[in-house]
Parts: sequence; structure tokens; C-alpha cells
Amino acid sequence: MKFANFKKFLIEKGGLSEDEIVQIEPFIQTKTLASHEFLLRAGEVCSHSFFVERGVLRFYALNEEGKENILQFATENWIVSDRGSVFFQQPSTYYIDAIEDAVVVLLSEEFVSEVAKLNPGFRTQNERLLQNHIRHLYKRVSLLIGASAKERYLEFVAMYPDLLLRVPQWMIASYLGITPESLSRVRKSLAKENFKSN
Amino acid sequence: MKTNKNRSIEKVTQPGTPHFVGDGFRVHNFIPGTSTMQRMDPFIMLDYNSKYHFPATDKPKGVGVHPHRGFETVTIAYKGRVEHNDSAGGGGVIGEGDVQWMTAASGVLHKEFHETEWSKTGGEFQMVQLWVNLPAKDKMSAPKYQAISNSEITKITLPDHAGVVEVIAGDYKGHNGAASTFSPIHMYNVKLKKGAKTTLAFPSNYTTALLMVEGDTIVNDITKVPQDHFVMFSNDGESFTVEAINDAVILVLSGEPINEPIAAHGPFVMNTQEELVEAFQDFNTGKFGYLEE
Repeated sequence: MKFANFKKFLIEKGGLSEDEIVQIEPFIQTKTLASHEFLLRAGEVCSHSFFVERGVLRFYALNEEGKENILQFATENWIVSDRGSVFFQQPSTYYIDAIEDAVVVLLSEEFVSEVAKLNPGFRTQNERLLQNHIRHLYKRVSLLIGASAKERYLEFVAMYPDLLLRVPQWMIASYLGITPESLSRVRKSLAKENFKSN
Repeated sequence: MKTNKNRSIEKVTQPGTPHFVGDGFRVHNFIPGTSTMQRMDPFIMLDYNSKYHFPATDKPKGVGVHPHRGFETVTIAYKGRVEHNDSAGGGGVIGEGDVQWMTAASGVLHKEFHETEWSKTGGEFQMVQLWVNLPAKDKMSAPKYQAISNSEITKITLPDHAGVVEVIAGDYKGHNGAASTFSPIHMYNVKLKKGAKTTLAFPSNYTTALLMVEGDTIVNDITKVPQDHFVMFSNDGESFTVEAINDAVILVLSGEPINEPIAAHGPFVMNTQEELVEAFQDFNTGKFGYLEE
């Protein structure tokens, strides 16, 4: 099925029926990205929120030395965007690009309105997602300020169970705010604790 | 005397567009790409690196650290040399004519690179990597290796100088192969001289396929199968014939279907979604051990 993940999202979060999905289908806009292709560059106004149908994307800033600081990864069923740039219509200071070939669905205001016509509860659901995102950001800031590298790593793999296999180690280290060597040490010490040689 | 009913061809697949696994294996995928895991049970993946020339390099090409759980990986080297290491401290080199049968079972991390010395000169590279599923009861057993050098592989000479059958696993006319398996599997390299013809037979319910590694052949007297093509047989009989148009090497696979549910994601092949989630958790929390990149 085309957009299988997005349709599931509309049924579960949007409360739409199969018939309503058929009605809404003409409004679904997608974008296909090759690995390394950008959805957003610093200086541009971010046009949409993006629902990830397939692939992995990253949301990051570049510091003065050109070092990437990754704020978020987005895999299947995640939403990625510079929400501030979209809402305030101001140029973004962030980048979004694909780490794997990806397909995203564009969540424009027009699209949200069309879905809300069918089910007004969809707006409330969207707000819930935004509140959840803010809750997640609080937790992330608090972990970055106060938690050990190991705690950050364990939170990361609980939230993104398959990313260790899809994303290079240095990107994960960047997300965790630690060096790649430190990430290696964490993984080595976990293996020492948990690996039972047969 | 009992005569075997002829087994017909279900389909012949030509090699598709190759892709790189890491930077060291340029493969055509036949399973599950053109035939599903369910249809090919117990063979769940087959990547074929058809003959490809890798130029000389000081930095060996290959695939970095990755996990496996729930099945066995079988690497058959036709040309080139591969070096491997794993999180249980194992390692070795697979050279031309050798077979490595790794039972990943409950889980290993490993990496595979062209051998450093071989990389310095480069050359022709040709290999098969096959994944063989494990029955549910064996999926969480201890990992192990069977490093089978070419000299250990049973070689049966065919009558009339027709060629040789190298028995990797299972048996050929009462001669056992070197590898032990968890479910009934027969695996041979059949080397036929130009013009020679041979008959092979396996129980009709066994999933049976051929990969034409070298040379062109005629299967069941009528179907011409060129080099690098894959033949999938129906389950309507036992025996089939292969005739070599020129000197040929044919990888023969035949296995009894395990007939259990398959839940697969990337390098983990289990029976249920819950077991897949557990595999990811165990991998993420170091239960597969540690291996330096």
C-alpha cells in the first residue's frame, strides 16, 4: 500500500475511516529524497512539518567550526520540522537532510484543515503531538545537562531501537553530545556488563 | 525399481542490478529479492557477488561491525580472500574453494573485509553469501563456526570423467558433506566438464535451487540457463538433469522447509515480532558483545 505508515497515522491519530482516507488522498503531497538531499537549509524559511513515511533524516545545526550538532533523528512515523520557522515565518538556523533514501509527507496547514473538516478532533491530536514533542525536548535538555553518557545512550536506544544499525556512530555521538570515543567506551562497558560468552 | 519423477523448473532468474554491501561486496540479490523467504524456506537470503575485479588498495574493502541473530550465514568463496572477526574472539580467512558456516544463533557481532594481503594486489572476486534459517528451538543456541577449508570438502568423482561433486553439506549418494546442519540440507558445488550431464534428486518437498557460478548449462534437457542465473525448481518431483555447455560450476541447494513463522528485520530473523524487539534491545545493550570497528 502506498503511504502505509501515513495512512496508519491518519487512522490512529486522525481518527479517519478508510472511506475518509480515500477522500483525503488527493491532498497528500510527498517528497522523495536521496541520501544526503536537503529538506531545509539555514537561511530558508521552513515550509512544512514532514511526516517520515520511509527512511532516516536528521535535524541539526552547524557551529562556527562547521561541526554538526544533531538535535533530532526522524525515522518512520516521526515528524521533523523547524516548527519555529514554520510558525513565525522566519528564516531557519537549522538543516534537515536525509541519511538514507527517504519519502516524507508534507503536513501543510491546508492539509491539516482538510483532515480537520472530516474530523475536527485531528487538531486536538496535532496539539497533543506538539505537547509531547515539548515534553521530549525538556527531557532531552535535562539529560544533556545532567546525565552521564551511559544514561543518555540508554535513553537513546530505548527511543530509537534500530538506529544503531542505520546511522554512523559519529552522528549518534553528536546527538548524545559526547565524543565518538566516549560512545565507544559506553558500548564497550555495556558489553562487559551484559555479554555472556557461550 | 523405483523411478524418480522429474522435477520441473518453477522459474529462472537473471541477475538483477547489483548493489554494494559495505564497499567490498558487489552483489546480486536472489533471495528474498526475487523469491520470498517463505517460498525459499529454509534459505532466507542469497547474495551473489558475480565475478568482479577489485583494484589494488592499501585499505581493505568490506563490511564493518554488524550483528546477526536467529540463523546461519554460509560464505562460499570462489575467487578472492575474506578475513573475518567476531565478538566471541573468533576469526579467520576464507580463501578460494573454502566455505565458512557461521551459526549466529543467539547472536554475534562480526565484520568481514577483503584480506589485507589480497587487497594489496586486488583481483577477481566471486562469492556467495547465503543465510540458512534455524528452527525455533535452535535460534537461541550458542554461536559457533565451521571453517571448512577446500581440502576438507568431500569430493566425489563422477563417472566417465564428467566432473566432480563437492559435498559442502548433507549427502550425495551416501557421501556426507563436511558441514553439520540444524535441519536437513544438501549443498554441493557440482563441477561439470564441457558436454557432461548429470542427474540429481532430492525429496520433492525440499526447496531446491541452482546458481550457475561458472559456465552455461541446459537443465532438464530443454532449458538453457546462462552463467550467473538462478534456477528455482517446483515441488512436483525429485530429479532433474544438468548438462554443461562449457566447463561449469553449479551451486546446488536443497533443504527441507522448516515451516515456522518468520519475523525478519535487517540482520535478525526470528519467529515473532516480540523476539525481534528483544533482539534490537539485546544488541543495543551489549548482549552481543563488543567488537572494534
